[in-house]
Amino acid sequence: MKLDELFRQINFCKTIQKESTDPFDLNVKKFLETLKLYLKKWKSLDDLLLDAEAISELAKIIELQGKWIRDRSSSFYIDPVLMELKLRMLEPVQLANAFFESWHPIISLDRITPTRLKEGLNYWNALLPFSERKEEFPLPSTPETFAFDINDLIDLNILSTTEFEDSIKAISKDLEARGRIEYHDFIYDDEFENSIKKAYLTSYLVSEGKAELDINPLEGEVFISPSKVNANTGDVRSIPISLSYEDWQKWKRKQKRNYGQGQKGR
Amino acid sequence: MEEETEEELRTRTERKVKKAAQLLLFRRHRTPGVKGWELKKALGDNYMKVIGVLNSTLDRFGMEVKRISEGGGTGIDEGEGKEKTERDRFMIVLKNHLIEKASGARIDDVAMLSATLAYIISKQGKAPRKAVEDFLSAKFPKRRVYFALDRYLKQGYLGEDDKVLYIGWRTRAEVDRKTLLDLILAS
Repeated sequence: MKLDELFRQINFCKTIQKESTDPFDLNVKKFLETLKLYLKKWKSLDDLLLDAEAISELAKIIELQGKWIRDRSSSFYIDPVLMELKLRMLEPVQLANAFFESWHPIISLDRITPTRLKEGLNYWNALLPFSERKEEFPLPSTPETFAFDINDLIDLNILSTTEFEDSIKAISKDLEARGRIEYHDFIYDDEFENSIKKAYLTSYLVSEGKAELDINPLEGEVFISPSKVNANTGDVRSIPISLSYEDWQKWKRKQKRNYGQGQKGR
Repeated sequence: MEEETEEELRTRTERKVKKAAQLLLFRRHRTPGVKGWELKKALGDNYMKVIGVLNSTLDRFGMEVKRISEGGGTGIDEGEGKEKTERDRFMIVLKNHLIEKASGARIDDVAMLSATLAYIISKQGKAPRKAVEDFLSAKFPKRRVYFALDRYLKQGYLGEDDKVLYIGWRTRAEVDRKTLLDLILAS
């Protein structure tokens, strides 16, 4: 048994209610005839519920039709098309004047009485310090975030232990070959993706004491060099260094310029 | 029990009228006005009679008590059930539009409000928000239209339910809708 026609009629009823279109667009007689056709075929509880929903929606439309007739016969009824046309033609000043002439503003005053002030003062006195009421103002909930460590990446088969160790060795070798160098010059590569990977691996080099960072806070420069003493002193601190795609692009442009000047100089 | 003298009755009534005026004029909630049950609690079972006396006093100053029901009716003479009256909101409004200017709103904003109300009233009291936005956008930038509609909703001139705008409690209290439509059509 196909229920498409019934669903279509129910949806049409809902659209009329939602969008305030003419409720007489629905052919009530035809709707009832459709329902009558289905009536003999209803078997399950779901069928009966659908039938009830259809009757309910139809009743709402009939109610709307009644309201529609009442509105049209009342003094408020004005053809919406005519009104829309008129509104489009009027200047803002004319519209505002019409509003002011039909406006009867509410007269309402705010006044703080001595009693209310005393209540406010008592409230203030009874209020605990903010530091003790922090749970009343919870921070907006944020999804729980966490960082992947190397073991997670190995567990997820993104990296293997040998692959990771080989990569660390390669970076260490590269740093030893280049010596003391500006951090970004060392990290950035021709591909941004590789640069991020290199930064990630370098952080391990530094954490393990195989590389040293030399930061000049005044100039904002960070230099990296191979560690002279191959050991972690135990003095641990985090150093955030920002990397961004825009910054990488600037670095690349600068590299190109330097290369171009070098070629001209020859 | 001693019978109340005329003098005593007058004093008691005056006291109640004064109390009713203060209740209605000074804001006690976020929305102006007071509910019928609040008046009953403060003035007694005969609160509608007290409001009637207050109304005739206010009339001398060009003001009146207006009753707003949730269903949309207005006016204090509506002969409806006691329970409904207690749920209705009472407030004082200006009876006539005598004063030159009673609002600091920009002319553009008043024009948009006027057009929005007339548009919605002509559509039997409700219209999809998108349709109102498109209609207003013919004369004002979209961003200003969005802000204006949000402000009218906040002020109570409009209500919104599932992206459909309808006439809010404040319009029912403050705006003579018939006059508004007549004036617009006559302009």
